[in-house]
Amino acid sequence: MSRIALQLLFRRVLLAIPILLCVSALVFVILRLLPADPVAMSLPPGATAEDLAKLRQAFGLDRSIPEQYLIWLGKLLTGDFGGSIYFRRPVLDLVSKALPATIELVFLGLVLGVALGVAGGLAMFAWRGRAGEQVLDLGTSGLMAIPEFLWAILLILVFGVALPILPFIGRLSPGLSLPPPVTGFLLLDSAITLRLDVLGSALRHMVLPATALAIGLAPLVMRVLRSSLMEVIQEDYITQARLRGIPEHTILVRHALKNAALPTISLIGVQGGFMFGGTVLVEMIFAFPGMGNLMVDAVRNHDLPVIQVVGLVYCVLVLAINAVVDVVYLMANPKLRTA
Amino acid sequence: MTDIDRRSLLKLGAGASALAALGVPTQVLAQAAAQGQLTIAFPSDVPTWDPNARSLAAVQSLYKCIFDQPLTQNPDITVKPALVTKWGYVDDKGLALAFDFRSDVTFHDGSPLTAADFRYSFFDRPRAPVPEGGRKLDTSFIWRKIKDIEVASPTRAIIHFTDPMPSAVAWMYFLTSYVVPKAYLEKVGLDEFQKKPIGSGPFKLVEYQQGARAVLEANPKYFDGAPKIGRVTIEFVRDPTARVAAIESRRVDCAIDVPVREAIRLGTVQGLTTSIDAISDITLLQITKNGGFADDRVRLAAHHAINKEAISKALFGGAAKPISVPAAHGTSGYPEDFNFPFSEEKAVALLKEVGHGPQNPISIKFASPNGAFPNDFDAARAIVAMWKKVGINAELETIELSTYQERLRAGTLPEATYFSWGNAAGDPELYGGYLLDPKSIFSAFKTDDLAPKFQPLLVEMDEKKRLDGYKAAHRYAAEKGYTIPLYQTVKTTVHVNTLKVTKYDNGLTLPQGWTKA
Repeated sequence: MSRIALQLLFRRVLLAIPILLCVSALVFVILRLLPADPVAMSLPPGATAEDLAKLRQAFGLDRSIPEQYLIWLGKLLTGDFGGSIYFRRPVLDLVSKALPATIELVFLGLVLGVALGVAGGLAMFAWRGRAGEQVLDLGTSGLMAIPEFLWAILLILVFGVALPILPFIGRLSPGLSLPPPVTGFLLLDSAITLRLDVLGSALRHMVLPATALAIGLAPLVMRVLRSSLMEVIQEDYITQARLRGIPEHTILVRHALKNAALPTISLIGVQGGFMFGGTVLVEMIFAFPGMGNLMVDAVRNHDLPVIQVVGLVYCVLVLAINAVVDVVYLMANPKLRTA
Repeated sequence: MTDIDRRSLLKLGAGASALAALGVPTQVLAQAAAQGQLTIAFPSDVPTWDPNARSLAAVQSLYKCIFDQPLTQNPDITVKPALVTKWGYVDDKGLALAFDFRSDVTFHDGSPLTAADFRYSFFDRPRAPVPEGGRKLDTSFIWRKIKDIEVASPTRAIIHFTDPMPSAVAWMYFLTSYVVPKAYLEKVGLDEFQKKPIGSGPFKLVEYQQGARAVLEANPKYFDGAPKIGRVTIEFVRDPTARVAAIESRRVDCAIDVPVREAIRLGTVQGLTTSIDAISDITLLQITKNGGFADDRVRLAAHHAINKEAISKALFGGAAKPISVPAAHGTSGYPEDFNFPFSEEKAVALLKEVGHGPQNPISIKFASPNGAFPNDFDAARAIVAMWKKVGINAELETIELSTYQERLRAGTLPEATYFSWGNAAGDPELYGGYLLDPKSIFSAFKTDDLAPKFQPLLVEMDEKKRLDGYKAAHRYAAEKGYTIPLYQTVKTTVHVNTLKVTKYDNGLTLPQGWTKA
């Protein structure tokens, strides 16, 4: 990695600090302003109003919001992420178990979305001015009009029920057990431990949820890539390449695509962040044990410590994706490297 | 090997490869169909495998697979001995409750379950100090009247109470009342216990992925006989549509809490059986004296105007049994001789007395969750329409369950709130005792005249007097317009025909009694 890229990464990390502070404060305050009390809603039969007051005190909920925030932040900075009110377990423990599943799912969703998007964008470009382009254009409008959770349900009904060829519950088939944890990432662990049956099952279980996520990204990539290619193809260097007799597909892949990819890379960065948000409903529908599912449980039970940390982790992930995309953009764009 | 054999093998391999390429989950389908194995799509996961920690009704079935309670219930929810063979008060004040334990019960690690484990679970653990920011077990609130538990022998324990607790026996088969292994828990600590819980129940937990699934294996040494089905996989599928898809595609053998309309439809699908049953949980309107409900006559009119039977037929396939008091039919606190009638005429007459009617409606606010309970918002809309007919104009709003308890505490609930109340034990204290006693943190309608009706019953040790008292108090509350009970909550189960399911009137899902052809 070049020195400029490292500098960029460093700047991104520095910038992330105030962003994370703002996001954490915002989430914290909004949650406290809601008329819900996580302690009150989890009181057992036999508890009294005095018990409620004592518990609120024990969880620090009787203090002012700024005071609560500073205490929480202070603990967070020392590595204490707090304990879940609903699960009665350390938040860090819950998040560390759920996060790898979501990262794997989003990664697969991104790969699938980019692959479909690039293939579709190239097809649209190749068929420009023809019926094929119109059909694909119409198709992308349809894909974008339907939200991810609806795609999730449609995919289940088509590939899980009508044509029962793909699983849609959880991460593994019932007969299979988890490989011993090495990295915490199921795909990696099953590959490392040579549990190919688990690897195959895990991948099959990810096809539908990853596709539901990818469908949100692919049409955007297709359209942006097609537009970029249309612009790039008008450039003088493309005309000169044609005059030199370079075959059309070589011009497209080696010259046009490289330059047309830049706006697409920026788009992937933005959409990658949205994709993490999309996991909340998609994971719930596919019973996928990731951060989205954890967030649903936490929100339902107003589990403030979990919501705060999960919200912050989502923010970190989005910032990380943007940083990576910035570096990729920098590497792909020679003009920026010399700037 | 001959050429033909090779060819066959190649064909088989090619077929398998083609299936694999298509992603056909042959293992899933084969396992779901296999004898001795069962897969259930279940709507909730446990928050923790510490069964004494949380009093959550939705996951009691899961705890009951792994852990045992001193007492349990028959399918008709009558009490049944479990770890305990004999029980009863051994004093005349109801302050000493003795239990005789079975001597043949062992935990999953082979260690014997004794009265010392009982004391540990019901006395030592609830009183154990908690770290800063931590939280006591729910058992510490429930069993706060326990002064001591005397272990007379490995098979005999006597609970000594500070005050009478007439519902103590019912609590022995209710939320959080599970016996955990003292030696194992002390040896491995709570964190490790939650990862690898050990109980004495019919199944052992052999694998658990939070939020995904739990794999259970039959306990061959279970004191009540090993379960007939050797391996049970419980898939935690929160989304109801996904549960429907799971049973329809036969990826699971059984799906719990399927939407009623889907359950009715799946009942017509070949190879599937649907059950839609009223259980001991109840659905009611939690009402307050706020706004338009300040006058008794308006509340009574609102109750008379609701055609519960019609709602049940329209939304629950007729299974939601209408109730006149906040208790389930057949339970000991339900006055079967009392009926609060649906009568639009009475409603109109009562409203006329306070100067309102269809032309001059009284306005109230009405809150309902949307999706938290079966058909909740649809039922609420039906009620709004019924009220409108007699002269009550209800403004319907959605309420999040996460805000319900706080609004209840703060007294900011609207005139009526659609709500469901769980009571798997069926004891009347767990209905009216909690819902109507003005001192209870769960009661919405606070009125002084209810206190003398309910509070003496909380310490009444004469069982007949206690039950008669609850029947009368429940009836009184309904007649005075202090509660608007609707119907018994409905439980839906859809399963493959080859599975024989034992239904429990409290809605518990207990695969230990199931068989599969």
